[in-house]
Amino acid sequence: MSKFNDRVFGLVMLVIAVAYYYGATQFPVPFGGSEAVGPETFPKLLAVILAVCSLYMIVKPDADNPWPVAQTFLELGIAVVVLVAYALLLEPLGFIISTMLAVGTLCWRMGARPVKAYLTGLISGAIVFVLFTYGLELPLPLGLLEIN
Amino acid sequence: METLHYLSLGFGVALQPENLMFALMGCFIGTLIGALPGLGPANGVAILIPLAFTLGLKPETALIMLTAVYAGAMYGGRISSILLNIPGDEPAMMTCLDGYPMARKGKAAEALAISAIASFMGSLIATIGLILLAPLLARFALTFGPAEYFALFVLAFATLGGITGKNPMKTLMAAAIGLIIATVGIDLSTGTQRYTFNVLELYEGVDFIIAIVGLFAVSELLFFIEEKAGAGREMIKVNPLKLKWREILSIFPTTIRGGVIGFIAGVLPGAGASLGSFITYTLEKKIVGKDGYFGEGDPRGVAAPEAGNNGASSGALVPMLTLGVPGSGTTAVLLAMLVSLNITPGPLMFTQNAELVWGVIAALLVGNFMLLLLNIPLVGVFVKILSVPPMYLLPIVTMVAFVGIYSISHSTFDLYFMIAFGVGGYILRKLEIPLVPVILGLLLGPEMEKNLRHAMQISDGDWSILWSSGLSIGLWLVAIIGLLLPVIVGPILRRRMQAAKSKVG
Repeated sequence: MSKFNDRVFGLVMLVIAVAYYYGATQFPVPFGGSEAVGPETFPKLLAVILAVCSLYMIVKPDADNPWPVAQTFLELGIAVVVLVAYALLLEPLGFIISTMLAVGTLCWRMGARPVKAYLTGLISGAIVFVLFTYGLELPLPLGLLEIN
Repeated sequence: METLHYLSLGFGVALQPENLMFALMGCFIGTLIGALPGLGPANGVAILIPLAFTLGLKPETALIMLTAVYAGAMYGGRISSILLNIPGDEPAMMTCLDGYPMARKGKAAEALAISAIASFMGSLIATIGLILLAPLLARFALTFGPAEYFALFVLAFATLGGITGKNPMKTLMAAAIGLIIATVGIDLSTGTQRYTFNVLELYEGVDFIIAIVGLFAVSELLFFIEEKAGAGREMIKVNPLKLKWREILSIFPTTIRGGVIGFIAGVLPGAGASLGSFITYTLEKKIVGKDGYFGEGDPRGVAAPEAGNNGASSGALVPMLTLGVPGSGTTAVLLAMLVSLNITPGPLMFTQNAELVWGVIAALLVGNFMLLLLNIPLVGVFVKILSVPPMYLLPIVTMVAFVGIYSISHSTFDLYFMIAFGVGGYILRKLEIPLVPVILGLLLGPEMEKNLRHAMQISDGDWSILWSSGLSIGLWLVAIIGLLLPVIVGPILRRRMQAAKSKVG
C-alpha cells in the first residue's frame, strides 16, 4: 500500500495555506483604522488550521485508494470534457440540441447503445425544455432551433 | 399550551392547498430519490434547491417541499435495500440485512409494507419528539452570546465526522477548506476585497448552492463512470401483498423502540441516521434473543432499522432548526435553502418566523401520512422507475442539475464553477476527505466570523472571552470529546458496522 495520495495532497494544501496566509497579510487596512478582529484575522486562523492538518496528512498519511487505470481515467476525462462542452454550447446551440449531445454522449459512454443514448438525450431535453418554457415560463435558450 | 397554539398555526400553513400539493410532490420525488442508488438525499435535495428558486416559491412552500423530499428519501432508501440488496442511501444499509433475505423468500411485498409502516412509526414518534423538544431548546439557545455561538460552530464541525468517522484530521481539514472558500469575496463588515483576484464574478463570493450541486451531483456522476455501474443490478420481482393485521401489530413494539432510539441518535451531535439504524438493529436482536431469526429475513430486522433511520432523520432537524447547526449532510443542504431565502436560522426563527417553522413541522406530520399512503399502494410505481438503469438516469440527473443552476442566473460561468467543484469533490472523496464539512464551512463561514468579531468587540480584543462562560466551556469540551471519541471508540464501532456490511456483500 502506497501512501502517496495523502502526502501529495497535504503538500498542495500546505502551499495553499501559506499562500492564503500571505494573502491575508496583504489586505489594505480598512477605512477607519484597524480593529481587534479585522478582515484578516479569521483567514489567518484558518490558514493555521489548514497548515496543521496538511502537516498531519504528510506525516501520517492513510493508505491510498486506487486511482482509476488508464482506460477508466480516459472515460472520466471524456465525461468532464462533455460537461464543459455542454456549458460552452448551451447558449449557441440551444438547450435541446446541446442536451441531446451531452446526455447522449454520457449515456453512451456509460454503456448504453448509441441510438438509444442520443434518443434519451433528445427526449429528456425536449421534455425539460417544454416544462421550463411553457410550464414555468422560464425560457431556456433555443439556439439553432430559433426561427427568425 | 403555547406549543399547541403554534402547532395549530403550523397546520394552518401546511394545509393550504398549494403547500399540500408541493408536499405531496416532495414526498413522491423524495421517495424516488431515496430509492435510486447513487442519488442520495443530500444530492437530491441539492439539485432541487435551484429549481425551488426558479419556481419562485414562497419560503414556507419551498421549505415544506424540500423537507418532504428529505422525509421521503428516508422512506425510499429501503426499496433498493430490499429489492436490490444495495442501500439506496447509507442509513438504509441495515435494512438490507433482513429485507433482502425476506425478498428472496418471495416476501418482497411484505418486507416493503412492513418497512413502510416502520418508517411511518419512526417518523411519527420522532416528529412528536421534535415538537416537544425544539421549542425548549430554542428558548435555551436564546441565552447564547457570540462567544457561545462561536464555540457551538466549532462543536458542529468537530462532531460532524461522527463517532464512526475515520480520520478526524480530515474532517477538520474539510471544514477548513469550506471556511476558506467562504472567505472569498467582499468582507461584509469592512468592505475589504478578499481573494477576489479582481474577478468580477468572485466579488459576491462563491454561491454555496453551486458548490453543493457540483460537489454532490457531478462527483457522483464521475464515481459511477469509474465504477462502471451503469448497467444496474438484477432486481427481485414483487409478489402480491399478503399481510395480516396480526403481523403488523407484532412489529409495533419494535418500531416504537426504533423510533425513540433513532430520534435520540438524530438529535445528538455526531451520531446520525446511520448509527441510529445500526444501534436499533443490534438492540432489537438482543431484545428478541433466541426467538428471532435475524439475518435470514426476520420482519423485526426490517422494521427496527427503518424506524431507527426515519426517527433519526426527523431528530436531525432539531439542532438544524433550533440552533442553525445541522448535524448531517442533508440537513446542511436544507440549511443552505434557509440561508439563501434570507432567513437567519437559529432560535430567533421560532419567534420571528413562527409560521415558517411550525408550518414545516406540521408539514412533516402531514407528509408522513402521505408517505405511508404513497408507499404501500404505489410501491409498484417506484419499483418500475428503479428498474431504469443508472446509465440513463445519472446523465439526466446531471442535466437537471445544469438546468437548475443555469436558470438561477443565466450565466455559464456558474456552470464552469459547478463542474470545477464536481472534479474537486471527486478528488476529495478519493482521498476520503468528507464533503459535508466542506459544505458546512461554506454555509457557516460568514456567521462564524461575524460571531467571532462580535465576541472580540465585546471583550476589546481579549481572546479569552471565547471560553469565559460556563456554557461556552461546556461546548468546547463537547467539541474536544467529539474529536477524540472517533479515535478511541471509532475503530470498534466501525469494525462492527463493517462486519454487518460485509454480510450484505
